[in-house]
Amino acid sequence: MSETLSGAHILCRTLADAGVDVIFGYPGGAIMPFYHALPEYPRLRHILVRHEQAAAHAADGYARASGRVGVCVATSGPGATNLVTGLATAHMDSSPVVAITGQVSRPMIGRDAFQETDIIGITLPITKQNYLVQDAADLADVVTEAIAVAQHGRPGPVLIDVPKDVQNQKVEYTPAAVVGAQHAAPLPKAGDDAVQRAADLIAAAQRPLLMVGHGVILANAYAEVRALAEKTGMPVITTLLGISAFPEGHPQHLGMPGMHGEVHVNRAIQRADLIVGIGLRFDDRVTGNLAAFAPRAQVVHIDLDRSEIGRNVPTAVGIVGDARAVTRRLVAAIQARSCDAWRAEIEGSRRPQDASFRGGMSPEAILAAIHDATGGECTIVTDVGQHQMWVAKLFPYRRPNTHITSGGLGTMGFAVPAAMGVHLARPGEPVWAISGDGGFQMNMAEMATMVQEGLPVKLAVFNNGYLGMVRQWQQFFHGKRYSSTPIWSPDYVKLAEAYGIPGYRVRHASELADAVGQANAALGPTLVEFVIEREANVFPMIPPGGSLSEPIEAAV
Amino acid sequence: MITTHTVDVLLDGTVLMLNRAVGVLRRRNVTVEQLTVRPCGPPEGGGGVSRMTFVLHTDAATADRVVQQFHKIVGVRAVEITTVHDPNTEEQP
Repeated sequence: MSETLSGAHILCRTLADAGVDVIFGYPGGAIMPFYHALPEYPRLRHILVRHEQAAAHAADGYARASGRVGVCVATSGPGATNLVTGLATAHMDSSPVVAITGQVSRPMIGRDAFQETDIIGITLPITKQNYLVQDAADLADVVTEAIAVAQHGRPGPVLIDVPKDVQNQKVEYTPAAVVGAQHAAPLPKAGDDAVQRAADLIAAAQRPLLMVGHGVILANAYAEVRALAEKTGMPVITTLLGISAFPEGHPQHLGMPGMHGEVHVNRAIQRADLIVGIGLRFDDRVTGNLAAFAPRAQVVHIDLDRSEIGRNVPTAVGIVGDARAVTRRLVAAIQARSCDAWRAEIEGSRRPQDASFRGGMSPEAILAAIHDATGGECTIVTDVGQHQMWVAKLFPYRRPNTHITSGGLGTMGFAVPAAMGVHLARPGEPVWAISGDGGFQMNMAEMATMVQEGLPVKLAVFNNGYLGMVRQWQQFFHGKRYSSTPIWSPDYVKLAEAYGIPGYRVRHASELADAVGQANAALGPTLVEFVIEREANVFPMIPPGGSLSEPIEAAV
Repeated sequence: MITTHTVDVLLDGTVLMLNRAVGVLRRRNVTVEQLTVRPCGPPEGGGGVSRMTFVLHTDAATADRVVQQFHKIVGVRAVEITTVHDPNTEEQP
């Protein structure tokens, strides 16, 4: 039996039929037909954000925590352009976000109509695919394909631009056809030859290292990576987005590499004769100066995206394929071995961590308080800057995919809205959004969203009165000229009160356990301000463009 | 070594698709010496397919990287480097 439906209804129905259950969005003129239809689809819970950027980050957080697409909606013009930072963030970090934007009606396109912008043109380089829907009869197929494209292979954001008259256009509804073969094709399968060559290199290496990234989380390859590590004894390095892909407490786990990696981790890279990289892209924050990166090492690179193999570092063996499937075959192909002498050599260069901040308000103490209050059963979402590095280096992640951050794009303001999406994907456990005082103020309006929608996100603000990471660079590389980095904050406790949520200010370590415990136990959203040392630094630090062999380890 | 590479891309024949394809070249910041686009029916008949041919003046690794980026685009059906011209070697008639 055929049905006549408007484009807006087809949009909603196709999303609901695809299993979408939450949408982050903000209404406006060109998306009003969609919002008119939306209440008829109770399965689609709509979260009204305070700025469209937050909708994109929240959809990203939802996608990363759930492994399913995160959906955000905005109107044309400014609504659509406000999504851009969120889409670029999702693009850099391979997150399956589907953005739906209203567009001015077809006859108005290209006339500089009110709230018209070429969002297709704007988002071309920051989406995996985008669509301008010209006919409502195409909508079901386009939405279905968009969801498939966003998730298939290496995930990424997709944008669907729907003119207002297409939303109103009534057509005979035909459920979406089966997704085309291109977007449902089996993942590439590596040849046995490459897997065997990788196994041979691992068997022959004296100082092999396993480096794992986001691809391991995306492919759910935790058990396989752990099996590979334990069968070979290889020490394991987790990149920023690979954190929690391997248990932090495991005796073979070394830590994070790169610009703020610990000395023993970077030294291990520089001494290694083999690096087995799984699901990472050897970006510049990991490698430092490429010419001096891992000078003794051959590289085995396993990645789903063929274009990443050999892109930054030359590879001895490149294997294109799903991290889980390839690693499983590698485990089967490899002979058991140990790396005891090599691991002992690395341990010899491990440095004690500096926890001597004023008032005991060290990142270690703050993160230990959060860990104690949650029992480690929480997801941490971080923003960008010094606190992000402290969390990455210090929080003892034991469960997979419990560390979510903006890695590639380094988007300040990410944590607060992304945490809303993480909560909706994981309603059963606490979600802590940790920000600095700079990043928090970028998207703190989302506290209103949390209150209105009942999203019990725990907000932590590391307040040092500076844009701390930029100030740190100014200290080391710009003659201590702290140009435009001191930043004023409102009274966060009063701010919390204004939003009707509990707020806590912690100035001394002795107050940490109580404040964090209460904030974590409260039913709704809460805000905790941690007043930390003003000019604390993240050490060690590789100067931009420097070699991993030359860390700065203390202030001069 | 810098050489001249002629690259052939078979793609869906829409203006948006061409925009996307040219965007790949722009983002990689490579020098494009020639660029032609012409309609081209797929082997099994039907329409809506274009052939984009461009000439890159770059090293082999970069040319290969550009090809890999094209392979990732939804709507690109085939990509190949058809000729490599080494400026130090001259063909005599």
